[in-house]
Amino acid sequence: MNNNAKAKSKLLLSRTVAYLVLIFLSVLCLFFFYLMILNSSHSNFELQGSFTFKFGKFFADNFNNAWNDASIKIPRGMLNSFLIAIISAVLNVYFSALTAYGIYAYDFKLKKIADAFIIAVMMIPSQVSTVGFIQLAYKYNLTNKLWLLIVPSIAGPATYFYMKQYLKATLPLEIVEAARIDGSNEFVTFNRIVLPVMKPAIAVQMIFSFIASWNNYFTPSLLLTKAEYKTVPIMIAQLRSADYSKFDLGKMYMFIMLAILPVMIVYIILSKSIIKGVTSGSVKG
Amino acid sequence: MDKAAKLSKRKSVSYAKWGYLFILPFFLVYFVFTLYPQLLTFYNSLFENYMDGLTHVGPNFVGLGNFVKLFSPDATGSITIIKYFGNTVVLWILGALPQFIFALILALFFTSTRLKIKGQGFFKAVIYMPNLIMAAAFAMLIFGLFGNTGPINKMLVAANMPTFDFLAEKISVRGLIALMNFLMWFGNTTILLMAGIQGIDECLFESARIDGASSTRVFFDVTLPLLKPILVYVAITSMIGGMQMYDVPQVLTNGYGMPDNTSSTMVMLLNKYLNPSRNYGMSGAISVILFAITGILSLIVLKATNKED
Amino acid sequence: MPGMKNIKGFFEKYYTVPEGVTVNWIIVPSDGGAYQAALDEALLNQANADADDKVDMFLAEADYILKYVNSEATQDITQIGVTDMSNTYKYTVEACTDTNGVVKGVSFQCCPSGLVYRRSVAKEVLGTDDPTEVQALLSDWTKFEEVAGQMKEAGYYMTPSFAETYRPFSNNVSSPWVVDGKLNFDAKITEWLDLTDRMNAAGETIPAGILDAEKNEASMLAEAKSFCLFGPAWYFNFCMGPAWEEGTGSLGDWALIEGPAAHFWGGTWLLAPEGTDNPTMLADIMNTFINDEEVCTNLVVQDAQFSNNKAVNAKCAADDELGANELLGGQNATAVFSAMADNIKFQNQTIYDQLLNEGLQAQFQQYLKGTVTRDEAMANFIKYVNETYPSIVTE
Repeated sequence: MNNNAKAKSKLLLSRTVAYLVLIFLSVLCLFFFYLMILNSSHSNFELQGSFTFKFGKFFADNFNNAWNDASIKIPRGMLNSFLIAIISAVLNVYFSALTAYGIYAYDFKLKKIADAFIIAVMMIPSQVSTVGFIQLAYKYNLTNKLWLLIVPSIAGPATYFYMKQYLKATLPLEIVEAARIDGSNEFVTFNRIVLPVMKPAIAVQMIFSFIASWNNYFTPSLLLTKAEYKTVPIMIAQLRSADYSKFDLGKMYMFIMLAILPVMIVYIILSKSIIKGVTSGSVKG
Repeated sequence: MDKAAKLSKRKSVSYAKWGYLFILPFFLVYFVFTLYPQLLTFYNSLFENYMDGLTHVGPNFVGLGNFVKLFSPDATGSITIIKYFGNTVVLWILGALPQFIFALILALFFTSTRLKIKGQGFFKAVIYMPNLIMAAAFAMLIFGLFGNTGPINKMLVAANMPTFDFLAEKISVRGLIALMNFLMWFGNTTILLMAGIQGIDECLFESARIDGASSTRVFFDVTLPLLKPILVYVAITSMIGGMQMYDVPQVLTNGYGMPDNTSSTMVMLLNKYLNPSRNYGMSGAISVILFAITGILSLIVLKATNKED
Repeated sequence: MPGMKNIKGFFEKYYTVPEGVTVNWIIVPSDGGAYQAALDEALLNQANADADDKVDMFLAEADYILKYVNSEATQDITQIGVTDMSNTYKYTVEACTDTNGVVKGVSFQCCPSGLVYRRSVAKEVLGTDDPTEVQALLSDWTKFEEVAGQMKEAGYYMTPSFAETYRPFSNNVSSPWVVDGKLNFDAKITEWLDLTDRMNAAGETIPAGILDAEKNEASMLAEAKSFCLFGPAWYFNFCMGPAWEEGTGSLGDWALIEGPAAHFWGGTWLLAPEGTDNPTMLADIMNTFINDEEVCTNLVVQDAQFSNNKAVNAKCAADDELGANELLGGQNATAVFSAMADNIKFQNQTIYDQLLNEGLQAQFQQYLKGTVTRDEAMANFIKYVNETYPSIVTE
């Protein structure tokens, strides 16, 4: 009886600690973004005065100023970023899954070498190829071409690695063989039978790939020099340097919010399935 | 029996081409858009090749001249590339250490059948959210908030505390970079580790508990060893990501890595050489070094994990 | 830099585009060389570009104009029909004349830059806010520093940013940043470093950047505690936004004088690229902004700019009603600028100036903030130069 009470109070204590840690980290995660939204509702003058936790009335004004800014064309940037990110994500996931399946399900001479090769290059930072990439882009007049930032995503070693692990854990080859006996074409088998099995992994990797691409700043900043092709991160980084737009702090916070908010909205809608997709990823097996 | 053997033999012969076909696009794209530029980068490191205004200088073969330049001490006696490598490592560790510790703790909280944490969906959604934030935008936000006239300093004033120039001091600049990296990645790591823990057969936990093992014992003897593959995966990707750290310090410090270049990373140096002079020679040399470092680090990790297996 | 953003507005306001022509603006912020990078690429591709993608006109600033003037990417504007430059200021022509004496463009504004001070602060500390009397107190750098000391004593900053005083020095150097391929510190630059060092140590200025919010807060608001800024005509409506806010700003509490050293800040040159397929319109635009009396007058009267037309400026300088500036409490700014404009010399410029100026200030700022020694700051600047411009030799 005594033991039971002791265990109970111990559990209560650990539970309290757990909740406190969780609440602390959650507040930390939200605090800066709360300040961002708060500040984007104030005028430049208000922001130069003393700080207040009250929301201001200049949200719409700041939005109009930022949206219609002549030097930082944020609507255009958002469109560019979105196009690059969504197409990259689809290509990245599809072809990495295809490659993972190709190596997992078939026996061929170069299979082991191919696998080892991808695992080996997975470690190489993407920046190592940047210099040559930029040089080629300038040589062949391909700067300011969005497709040049999309196509390379077909080969994603990290995505491949994840997909192969997932296949190993979830896809019994008997299913594939059964399909073969039914006379299914290999390519159709992949699309109709294997892909659906990989859905959770695909969802997770799509999101990762999309985020990576949406956030990508380094290489695009070296290749996209014209205003109409710039992506959001490049525009945001311009704010930090001597762009005159930052003279209006309300507008500055609005720019940052515009860069972040679309993804946040999508996330608020999809977060449940995203996290479910991530966590259920390796349950089966 | 005979028929089955025949079938499997035919299969292994005739299906190989599908394997090649399926991996073809990946390799084709990799060779053209990554491997070839990589080789070109290495090749460049041996040449003097840059733009001087609108004039193209080079390419002139200089052997290891670019590397010699890179490893020569400056007027104050410090060697830039080594200093920046040190910065990069420090900045990564400052963010990664709390990231892994908290991620592991949270993953255990969430998966604990004893604690039965409520509101998990909400908590997970919140802690994962910063991962979606564009690093450049996050850095710009922190720059605005922690600037000398930003809200954080204004709060300090309101609380009758001395203001602090967060963007001037080494401890705070590095601290802010680490804080951002931590916030952006700990939720992601938590979810990946949770997936790992949940992938562990529940029976193993049950039998350990029935055997009377304490929860600490269960953690070290069952959870951690079984979690190792996913931990290694997350660690490798985090390390590779750490070596490539660029957006956050670049935007936060406007590329200057202040103070005294103590928050300048390797890739920031790469960027300096590429912009505006497109110095392919020097940036190529930095890339070679970056490649060597990550190569060595990866090998160490791979070897360590293989030995234990 | 500044002109980049407002010229589009002025262009659309004052130039009627012929029917059937659409002007495609490509606007790139100039900081960190981004504008130059974009332009270089477009010009290098000019020969291969489609007609619609060709650059028909582009803008450049004093800090890097030479790079384009002395290249084959730009052409002689007298050949396309811009011949009368008699009304423009000498430095604006010098800036876009190549080493062979060929003129490649015109500036749509002239940018003599002066010292603008807070009248209320002047009255309180110096006992007068009259421009002539204040100018007498600030006519050289020694006097400037003396006043800075007085300001400090009265609880004011002399300048709200350490970099405010940079232009008056850098414009008056007697040798360029690069001599025979080597980095060269002119005596004026060293003089600026020393002055700034002293002023910062004495608490007479703030180690905030010239475009930082911190500077605005310290200078433009009604109750702000700073005495003066340095800037040309475009500075008033372009960089002093918070000062114009009714009630909270400092509208009318400013006055303009030449200050310790005549200098200029910018100019926005319209250059004619080689390969344009619209030379007639280009010439027409250039002529409009330097020779059309009505347009130039409107630039001064309506937009408070200082035009690149001596006759128009002289007319506005003589008429206190035409030249009255609201921010300056009705002072005739054009009259002050006119007196300075003829003496501006465009000299000792190099193609590297923009990033060298930016880099020096950024590295020195760290010293002023106390995080590095002055020697370390200079070593970091040298390192910055090596990384930014491999062709410049530093010893």
